[in-house]
Amino acid sequence: MGRRRRLVDPAAEAGAGALPKVIAALSRSLPAGPSPEIFRRAKFDRPEAAPALWQLLFRLLSPRSADGASASLALEAQVCLVKSALRSQGYPRLVLAQLPEDGSRGSRELLLALSWLLARGPLPEQLLAQAHVQLGDEIPVCECEALASPGPRVPHVEAEGPVDIRCVQWLMGRLRFRWRCLIASQQEQCTLLSKIHLYTRGCHSDQRLGHLSVAETEMLRDPEGGQQLLRRLERENTGLEAALEWRRGELVFWRWMDTVLGACPPEAPAAATQPTFLPRIAERGLGRLELAARELRALQEELCEATGRRRAAWEARVGGQGRGPQWSSARQALQKAVEQELAALRWAWEQDRGPARPHGPHRLVRCEDEAPGGQHLRAAEVIQALRSQEACLEAALRRLQGQCRQELARLAGALPGLIWILPPRC
Amino acid sequence: MSIVTVQLGQCGNQIGFEVFDTLFSDSHSSQGLCSKRENEAYRASCKERFFNEEENGVPIARAVLVDMEPKVINQTLSKAAQSGRWKYGQHAYFCQKQGSGNNWAYGYSVHGPRHEESIMNLIQKEVEKCDSLSGFFIIMSMAGGTGSGIGAFVTQNLQDQYAHSLKMNQIIWPYGTGEVIVQNYNSILTLSHLYRSSDALLVHENDAVHKICAKLMNIKQISFSDINQVLAHQLGSVFQPVYCAEGSFHYRRNPLGDLMENLVPHPEFKMLGVRNIPQMSENSLAYSTFTWAGLLKHLRQMLISHAKMEEGIDWQVRPPLSGLPPLGKMPLNKELHFNTSIANLVILRGKDVQSADLGKKLRAYLHQYTKFGIEEEDFLDSFTLLEQVVASYYNL
Repeated sequence: MGRRRRLVDPAAEAGAGALPKVIAALSRSLPAGPSPEIFRRAKFDRPEAAPALWQLLFRLLSPRSADGASASLALEAQVCLVKSALRSQGYPRLVLAQLPEDGSRGSRELLLALSWLLARGPLPEQLLAQAHVQLGDEIPVCECEALASPGPRVPHVEAEGPVDIRCVQWLMGRLRFRWRCLIASQQEQCTLLSKIHLYTRGCHSDQRLGHLSVAETEMLRDPEGGQQLLRRLERENTGLEAALEWRRGELVFWRWMDTVLGACPPEAPAAATQPTFLPRIAERGLGRLELAARELRALQEELCEATGRRRAAWEARVGGQGRGPQWSSARQALQKAVEQELAALRWAWEQDRGPARPHGPHRLVRCEDEAPGGQHLRAAEVIQALRSQEACLEAALRRLQGQCRQELARLAGALPGLIWILPPRC
Repeated sequence: MSIVTVQLGQCGNQIGFEVFDTLFSDSHSSQGLCSKRENEAYRASCKERFFNEEENGVPIARAVLVDMEPKVINQTLSKAAQSGRWKYGQHAYFCQKQGSGNNWAYGYSVHGPRHEESIMNLIQKEVEKCDSLSGFFIIMSMAGGTGSGIGAFVTQNLQDQYAHSLKMNQIIWPYGTGEVIVQNYNSILTLSHLYRSSDALLVHENDAVHKICAKLMNIKQISFSDINQVLAHQLGSVFQPVYCAEGSFHYRRNPLGDLMENLVPHPEFKMLGVRNIPQMSENSLAYSTFTWAGLLKHLRQMLISHAKMEEGIDWQVRPPLSGLPPLGKMPLNKELHFNTSIANLVILRGKDVQSADLGKKLRAYLHQYTKFGIEEEDFLDSFTLLEQVVASYYNL
């Protein structure tokens, strides 16, 4: 008959209504976000919450480009993919790897995995940026995107028996033709973009842009399409607002996650000794870096000295010869070649330095004036950079082809009396 | 996407005219087989490929005509203009005042380089008029003199200048009996040069087309015009837009690209042939009935028996379940298939030429070639290349 004291934290009391709201906001900002009820059941490790969380993790971890195709993957396949993706990102808890493949259990573990992902980086914002509705004509100016997303995984097929080389040549030929068709399509796209930009000059309300993009033109031409675009923009707005709301109230979520973690049984002690999969730089590696830096500095001094000496010698030899009119064209050609090589070298060196080089997609705008913009990129510069890159890669290709040819010649020479007939030029 | 046609020599120009005429009349046929909207979509797709729109509404063919004599070009230009339905561009031709005596080497080594700039300029102008270029279609004969020599040279230049564009060469295989003595030499040289620079070689044989005209179409006096019309029919069916359900326009955009990707990806196998049924004159078309399955079955039989004509074959063969896209048009069927009978042809002709080379008397004609820079080594190179091609086909 005593009075029962309510052992409830007043802060938690105030936040009792806030938690479902915050979780709902989180759900709205993620693709395929489940309802707050699923989250609540997951805390108590209820089996019915597991499939929805597996699917959510799958959507978050699968590569962006595979959205359409992989949405129809079976639950088992999604489970496999989630497990391997988490492992490769270094997820520490082993219990998840041991969950059954049919996706029927483990909702609490999945909740912990989700919060681990959320804690590592601004996940909702990243996803929203990826799904951003583009209104302008976007053009990529670097290859980072193409190199980073290798496309949908192709099932590995073992060749039974020896493969006819003609089959491989056939496939290579098809690839080459597709590439040429792609080039033709891209040229067509460029011509049409140019026409649209030219014809719609003066139509845009934003003076800095001056003309319409394809999406905007389509919107005017086809009202139904315009409605669809509007709906997509509204959806994106909803997502953005949800992300803001999530950020405002996420503290409540993290406090709740602490309780979820507390509700877990303690991990087996063997787990601590399992190696994680994060790459680690060994301790002695740091000393090596110092050494390398010193060596590079010494090398640079040597090079400066050597070039200085050589230049002096050259000047002495040439004397006053290189001044006449017949030298100017030769000199120009030389200068151009040297500039190209220098640009290529610079590109090779500056590959890792991020901010200096243009990255990611840019909006294509046609303008008449020569105003040197701060954050604007000029097409001519981008073309120049890409051309020097191309020259670099072509030189590398020729070098490799030369090596191949030498190797072939060596092999051919090893078998006397054998005549090699090369196939016609591909 | 548009195709730019280059018509070379007497043969090329005459055939080219027929092709454009056929394409135009096909797209404006009043047979009323489909709904109006489908007709318009089809017409628009076909027109953009081959014709350029002019202000006064008369479409201009996307073509460049080249010949060393003015006679054939003038005839072609006037025939087109007279019809009133379509015409060639006013300045889209190149010809010289004098002929050049049917000499391949002269065409390749002298005419070609001399007039290279003018011809390439003409082609460049046509290319610039296209919104998007699907590729080039070059019509020429194989064993002629200057037409073939210049054709080989022009194709090489196109390869250098438009390395990424697709090129298909339409070559006419000469009659077996031969009109010109050195036609075998010419053929070898043309074939080997084209094999190096072109992407696909579509071969038509005069003999086969002649037979089709004689037996199936019941033409008594076969003139070149009849032969050309049959050829044009076959070519037209190759190039008409192909319907497919996907895509916003329902017609495939890149005709040459589709053909090439599926037929000639392998760099050693570039030869193509066309099988076409039904082969009958337009008059009897009204009195025949066809079923799709029947047509396919016939075509398959033709292919298996390496026949070029659709007569006298009637075994019971089950047709394959081919996923051919239906042509929204008259029942003209086309099935381009990897064609081993062309290989047979090459082998046969190869043997012909080899035996000729052994004969001393034909060595006498070599001087006509060496006079203009084609040395014996070039012949040897060409032989080697073609031997390789023949061997590759043999080993299939």
